[in-house]
Amino acid sequence: MYIFIIRRFLQLIPVIIGVTLVAFLIIQLIPGDAAQVMAGEAASEEQLEQMRENLGLNEPLYVQYGTFLADLVRLDLGQSVRTDQPVMELVAPRFWITLELAFWGLVVAVVVGLLGGILAATKQNSYRDLGTMMFAVIGLSMPNFWLGLMLMYLFSIELGWLPTSGWGDWQQIFLPAITMGTAGAAIIARMTRSAMLEVLGEDYVRTARAKGVKERLVIYKHALRNALIPVVTVIGLQFGYFLSGAVLTESVFSINGLGRLVVDAISQRDFPVVQGTVIVLALTFVLTNFIVDILYRVLNKRIEIN
Amino acid sequence: MAATDKTPILKVEGLQTSFFTHDGEVKAVDGVDFEVGANETLGIVGESGSGKSITSLSIMQLVESPGKIKGGSINLTGEDLLKKSKSQFAKYRGNRVSMIFQEPMTSLNPVFTVGHQVSEALRIHKKLGKKDARQEAIRMLKLVGIPAPEDRAKRYPHELSGGMRQRVMIAIALSCDPELLIADEPTTALDVTIQAQILELIKNLQESSGMAVLIITHDLGVIAETADKVAVMYAGEVVEQADVKTLFKRPLHPYTKGLMNAIPRHDVDMDELEVIKGTVPSSAEMPSGCRFMKRCPYASEICETHPSLATPTHNYGVEDDSGAVRCWIYTEEWDTATKKQEVQ
Ligand SMILES: Nc1ncnc2c1ncn2[C@@H]1O[C@H](COP(=O)(O)OP(=O)(O)OP(=O)(O)O)[C@@H](O)[C@H]1O
Ligand code: SF4
Ligand SMILES: [Mg+2]
Repeated sequence: MYIFIIRRFLQLIPVIIGVTLVAFLIIQLIPGDAAQVMAGEAASEEQLEQMRENLGLNEPLYVQYGTFLADLVRLDLGQSVRTDQPVMELVAPRFWITLELAFWGLVVAVVVGLLGGILAATKQNSYRDLGTMMFAVIGLSMPNFWLGLMLMYLFSIELGWLPTSGWGDWQQIFLPAITMGTAGAAIIARMTRSAMLEVLGEDYVRTARAKGVKERLVIYKHALRNALIPVVTVIGLQFGYFLSGAVLTESVFSINGLGRLVVDAISQRDFPVVQGTVIVLALTFVLTNFIVDILYRVLNKRIEIN
Repeated sequence: MAATDKTPILKVEGLQTSFFTHDGEVKAVDGVDFEVGANETLGIVGESGSGKSITSLSIMQLVESPGKIKGGSINLTGEDLLKKSKSQFAKYRGNRVSMIFQEPMTSLNPVFTVGHQVSEALRIHKKLGKKDARQEAIRMLKLVGIPAPEDRAKRYPHELSGGMRQRVMIAIALSCDPELLIADEPTTALDVTIQAQILELIKNLQESSGMAVLIITHDLGVIAETADKVAVMYAGEVVEQADVKTLFKRPLHPYTKGLMNAIPRHDVDMDELEVIKGTVPSSAEMPSGCRFMKRCPYASEICETHPSLATPTHNYGVEDDSGAVRCWIYTEEWDTATKKQEVQ
């Protein structure tokens, strides 16, 4: 097990290097003079020179990358070219909000997805099954932002039950969480359904019934525990996508998360902030996958040796 | 181990179980009767697809959709189990009636410890607390011959061999001291030496508890070793029934005779030997007369009519009245019918 974790961790290193390289190149790949693009047309020659100096753009590439990495290790993501604030300070609170949003989205996805999948699987080919799977298809094919707008229209504008935007109050959680969680719920429901169907046909489920275990427990204890193994992987992957997919939801509901930060930074051509956000998001994604991998392995160990 | 003359523990009458598939009704079990008394072992034998498993699953009411018990009665010490509600019968399952299955490798839940799985039935039916159930589970594991039971109880199924797992299954099945144990091919998946041990174990446990045992197999060798009485099944019907000695001494039904030819090599699956030409007919091509007709070397015109399971009255040599057979040869009609044919 430890060997597995270490090996898996070593495999992360090239991925992390790749991530930093891509993030680093964001500035390098700006066509033309990066300083000019960031500072704008009106900037004077001195301002430009100052900016090049600040960003180290006059150094050779490998030196720049080295400095970039060294800063990164010290959790220094540079400064915003607009406000001169450290990028880390800009990113951290926003990251927290996005994390919260992703968490609640995941809660919706997991609760709805698991329940839907179980309901469908325990009555295969019934109307209940058909209905659930139809919802899943709709949920998957509906664009995120459109769903967000529709929910907002219905619950905030027409019914006035929930606030249209913002983040912080508990009432503000529902709509964005549903918006983010729907597609995930659909994926998890499908996955749970197929995993449950497979497990419900297993001999040990029949053994449980033969012992006199109540049907409810047969499903939620004997079958679900086994069906969860593949589902956990999907759930973990969802979380990674949620973080990066938060951008649209955040802009629909005017939530000041990382998504908003990066969109604003792009429109203001504040590339160090873009860089920092990309790194944080990508690393979170990589790390969640790492954790999911290990979790899957732990859950699966007993079966694998079999 | 002689049959008692009290009410039998299990009495199955006219049991019919069908699968309602897209291609129509498949009559997996079609009018099966038998009974097993306390301390008695009934063996059900027959080729693959003859309806043995569906018969046993019907008794447990574990037939899965699209299968359905269509008719008949299943009496446990006089109570008709089919008249019970689902929740009433759930109290019997694993408690008064237990079952062990063919596949010990997959019949235990991989994510729970062996001890947990044995104590589960005890907690449900005997309402034991966690600790007591665990204690009792360990006692059961010991009883079925598992060495170091305290330690094994903490293990997961994958850490045990096939033979050990089947012992665990037996421990689960017997934990609540059932009146009836159904064993559906309990040894088919195991090595020959382990097979003998498991059969021996079931026998010993029966002797001490007096339970009725229904053992299902396609191996007449297993029948010879364990059973007191035998029911031979073919295409969803019982075609011959007799006590074990009689059956081996003088098999009557042509199908039973065919099965007997496989005995000298009972280490090999009968199915592989193909002593009887052909296979069990599918429900679509099931003859309306004797179901064995297409494969029977003695088939005659009269066999176009469906024979009933009856005490043999003709042509059976040895004089005794035990057993029943579903074949025209052993009836009066056979003589008249074949004589008529000869004349023509
Ligand atoms: N799910 C199902 N759908 C349709 N028909 C089925 C189904 N399960 C069983 N059957 C029918 O029931 C018949 C009897 O099956 P059963 O499992 O009882 O045979 P068996 O005697 O136990 O054979 P084996 O030795 O292979 O275990 C089969 O021939 C098949 O036609
Ligand atoms: S009834 Fe006829 S076909 Fe059927 S087993 Fe007897 S002789 Fe053969
Ligand atoms: Mg079978």
